[in-house]
Amino acid sequence: MVGLLSYLIFFLTVVLIFGIATMGLNLQWGFTGLFNAGVVGFFAIGGYTVAILSAQPQAGLIGNFGLPWVVGLLGAMVVSALAALIIGFATVRLRGDYLAVATFGTAMSIQIVALNWGALTGGSQGMVSVTRPLQHLTRDAIPYNVFFLLLMLACTTVVYVGLERIVRSPWGRVLRALREDETAAIALGKNAVGYRLQAFVVGAVLIGLSGALYVSYVGFVSPADFVPMVTFQLWAMLIVGGSGNNRGALLGSLVVWAIWTGSGALMVKLVPPNYQTQGAALQSILIGLLLVVTLLYRPRGIIGEQAVVSRHAGDD
Amino acid sequence: MKAYYAGSIALGALLALVQPVAAQRTAACPVKIGITLPLSGSLASVAKATSESANLAVEHVNAGGGVKGCPIQLIVRDDQNQPNVGVDAAKYMAEVERVSLITGALTSSIVGAVLTAVAVPNKLPLVSSCASAETFTKMAEEGRTNGLFFRLYATVRTQAAGGAKATIDAGYKNVAMIYPTNDLGTGVATNYTRVLESLGGKVVAAVPFNENQPSYRAEVNQLLAAKPDALLIVAFVQDGATITREWLSLGGTQNLILHNGLRSKEYVRAVGAKFLEKAVGFDNAAVAGPGADAFTKAYQTKYNTAPNGPCILPQYDAIIVSSLAMNIAPDLSGTAIRDSVRKIQDPKGTVIGTGPAAYAQALALIKEGKPIKYVGATGPVEFDRNGDVTGPTLVWNIRNGELGVEKTYSQEEIATLLQKSAK
Repeated sequence: MVGLLSYLIFFLTVVLIFGIATMGLNLQWGFTGLFNAGVVGFFAIGGYTVAILSAQPQAGLIGNFGLPWVVGLLGAMVVSALAALIIGFATVRLRGDYLAVATFGTAMSIQIVALNWGALTGGSQGMVSVTRPLQHLTRDAIPYNVFFLLLMLACTTVVYVGLERIVRSPWGRVLRALREDETAAIALGKNAVGYRLQAFVVGAVLIGLSGALYVSYVGFVSPADFVPMVTFQLWAMLIVGGSGNNRGALLGSLVVWAIWTGSGALMVKLVPPNYQTQGAALQSILIGLLLVVTLLYRPRGIIGEQAVVSRHAGDD
Repeated sequence: MKAYYAGSIALGALLALVQPVAAQRTAACPVKIGITLPLSGSLASVAKATSESANLAVEHVNAGGGVKGCPIQLIVRDDQNQPNVGVDAAKYMAEVERVSLITGALTSSIVGAVLTAVAVPNKLPLVSSCASAETFTKMAEEGRTNGLFFRLYATVRTQAAGGAKATIDAGYKNVAMIYPTNDLGTGVATNYTRVLESLGGKVVAAVPFNENQPSYRAEVNQLLAAKPDALLIVAFVQDGATITREWLSLGGTQNLILHNGLRSKEYVRAVGAKFLEKAVGFDNAAVAGPGADAFTKAYQTKYNTAPNGPCILPQYDAIIVSSLAMNIAPDLSGTAIRDSVRKIQDPKGTVIGTGPAAYAQALALIKEGKPIKYVGATGPVEFDRNGDVTGPTLVWNIRNGELGVEKTYSQEEIATLLQKSAK
């Protein structure tokens, strides 16, 4: 029982970490209609920044300043914001598919830079001396994981409450107006480029924060953590959960990650020992099947977007 | 609406919970060993062969007496070569399935993540069958692994040294090389260059490539411009075949030096045997002896194909070594197993080979408290204080489309080469 509980604590922590990234993506796509296909790029920036800033110095690496973890985390958010500004300025006038291709390209470039710039990132060998927050307090796995889960619950709550507030504000309504009919919004005097850039940057900061938390939790970072599959996973979480709804983003995070990992555990039980190798292929099939079936029954996601979100909409 | 809401939370929780409930039966038998392999993705063929080797080992162990009177059972999880999936799979195996140790872990990204996130916190040994990166040697030296990391695969230093010597022996002086931008590639490239230069050779071009691309024309053109005597290709089959075909069709020399990732019939078929007659390959060698021969025969009988591939032999040894250590250990806690691993390499011990009969003999000796020395499919297994092994290298070739072994460089020769190049 203890083992199961311990695993669930770990599982939930990872779900919450991905949940923050999904909420960031939700802000970009769900509310503003920006098709960001390079999610993993910001995830990588956040992850590597916290490692470079807070890891202990190592021979051969030019980073690793050994700063406190909180500084590393804030640094990750700042660097993600800067990266998003640069990428945003370049791509914000693009729409739909074109924005998708451009952002996908930047994410691939970021991963390849991480792979090749060994002096900064440790290259393909990865960076191993990543500090975990308050690791010195306890060496045992279970108390530390409980602490990290509580930390993640706090972070996720702050992010969720913050996002809900700004989405129900005039700023949030402009985003939705831009998503629905940009020409009309511009005709009403709204600066489309400015608002889209703001949404892009705020979303990217959240995704970068998520990446930083992930790397802090695992304690090891390598370019393989940031393959395009992660972009797909985060998108699946958002779409299955329901885009345009922050609760949907969190729920999607839980459901999709449970499908992804649970299918593997299920295969171990269902498949006879001689066919365990083929079980992996079955797992991939099962993941795809469950995602498709969920979307067939709930095309708008499990929790669709709420139609009316203004506090004052019901007023006279 | 509420029903769907509730239903989906149930779905999410169900998949995470339903099977673990069944795993709660806390029985001592069978003893579980977790293995995480990249069964889907670009390394699938390597992973499949490795998994078959693991299954063969489990069969032999169970036929020879198992662990502490119980049979062993392999829990196979696909890590999809993605660390977040791999860490979750390892964590599940550690905490819910309650495995006694974890093996497999073919790539360094998986090893790194599983080591720091699961093996060290949960105090479980991680016996990697194929990790070649030097990162983990450094980690062990810094004390970050708590001695829980072991690997059965000689680090890239050994392979690269053998490759460099094979190059010089074949008469090539100016070599161009192409290598993937992963831990294996950069490791082989750095060490090969150092040893080759200490032997009087020269690397005229070193071109990295990103894996899984449809074409490598740009890289091949860079290599051709350097006009080398020979080309060293470090790659796995798919990319290696693409590179070789483009190299040859653009006029590159047939003097190829091939890394062990290409030691496969699929590669020979993909490129064409007639272009590979002059190719010189290098690989980690098993000491040609009864241990290696017995394993090869058993593998051949069971799977109808020779065990050619980077991780097959080390994976077999990983499971046998783990099982022997678990028998020697007073209990099956991670730290006890860790402390017993080096007891299988006692220099005064009776030599134990591969196969169920040898395993049964080992168990009998362990029961009497007598020392054993395991000489397995990869030769004598001797872990140094960081959990690494060294070993001899062999030179392989392709004649008439068949893979063959040309010669072997002993452990001592390789060690001398490495010492010489370190100056």
